[in-house]
Amino acid sequence: MTHERNDKPFLELIHRHQSILHKICFAYCNNRSSREDLQQEIVLQLWKSYPSFKGNSLFSTWMYRVALNTAINLTSKPGILTDSPKAPEAAYDPGDEYQLSEEIKILHKAIAFLKKIDKAIILLWLEENSYEEIAETIGITVKNVSVRIVRAKSRLAEIMQKLQ
Amino acid sequence: MKAIDIESLKSAWKNEQGFENKTLSQSDIEKFLRKKSRDITQLFKKGLGFDVVLKSIMGASLIGIILLFSDNLALVISMIVLLGLNLWAIWFQVNMYRRIPQTDMSTPAIRSSLEKRIQFYHQHYIKSLYIGALSNVLVFVSGSLYYFYFKYGEIRPLDLVDIVVFGTAIIIAFVFGAVIQIAQHNFQVKQLESCLQEIDEDSITVLTLKEQRNKKLRLFFIALLALVCGLLLLAYFVFR
Repeated sequence: MTHERNDKPFLELIHRHQSILHKICFAYCNNRSSREDLQQEIVLQLWKSYPSFKGNSLFSTWMYRVALNTAINLTSKPGILTDSPKAPEAAYDPGDEYQLSEEIKILHKAIAFLKKIDKAIILLWLEENSYEEIAETIGITVKNVSVRIVRAKSRLAEIMQKLQ
Repeated sequence: MKAIDIESLKSAWKNEQGFENKTLSQSDIEKFLRKKSRDITQLFKKGLGFDVVLKSIMGASLIGIILLFSDNLALVISMIVLLGLNLWAIWFQVNMYRRIPQTDMSTPAIRSSLEKRIQFYHQHYIKSLYIGALSNVLVFVSGSLYYFYFKYGEIRPLDLVDIVVFGTAIIIAFVFGAVIQIAQHNFQVKQLESCLQEIDEDSITVLTLKEQRNKKLRLFFIALLALVCGLLLLAYFVFR
């Protein structure tokens, strides 16, 4: 990759907003190596897409959109296990590396059990995106978003109940 | 057991400080920029690039055969036909490379970026995989002819059994290459399809994808049949 552009402002922005990177990677990956792969891919895609960021929205909103799009579009190669954990015990524990509160740790573990698109919807909802914004990011109707959020929340509550 | 109120977790999520720890330094992030992307479009690019290089080598190899067997007119004509086919295949793969969708993840919705990749695979890239499998046939044909030249100094006349054996080997080389490539790509494209299905189950998009899969299968059998007939004819003219 050629670096004719000035990397500095971009690197500073990513460094400042890296919590988005961690949240999404923990939601979509169940082990350290796939998490590093996803982090790398998201940063690469952010770099490629950065010239199209015109500042019409907050950088964090834009970054969330690119990162989720990348996480969903990234496929694993044959022979490598997929990222959806099959059992609660298999979920990667972000609490191993971060000082997270107990309830957030459980919430994160529970999110890891949702399907890929439901994960994206819940993450956007937790970040207080409006239904319109979520619909636009995913490419579904606002009505569909509200139905899916209700369903995903009840599924999350169910999983968290089991994990507690 | 305490009931879970997801709504109340929203503010806890926003205020969680744990994720604010800057575990990645700016130099860590900079290192990511030097790595290669693992996006599926990169897999398409890599596959096409490799095939163009292999076909170029095969082109040189076919020219070598023409020079070695310049006194055998039937063989020279056959090799010129294969060379023309090879050049067309290289042109096809280069054009396909140019059509690979761009990977800007910021503008399209998740659904449209999934659709873009899946449609490109089913409508266009799948043809490249069949064209790519022709490289195996070229490797086998040119390899066999070089073997004949260096072992016997000529192409011995082949009987019907020899032609059947060579024809079968050519078909196996083609089918094996195509099946392996398609299986590997399907494994990854299916992951994208399951996400698209999750977004919009029972929609027209999903039905269209099923139709495309059937079309792909038909295309495979037509290509296979055409290849078998072509190669058997070629074998007949070269080795009779």
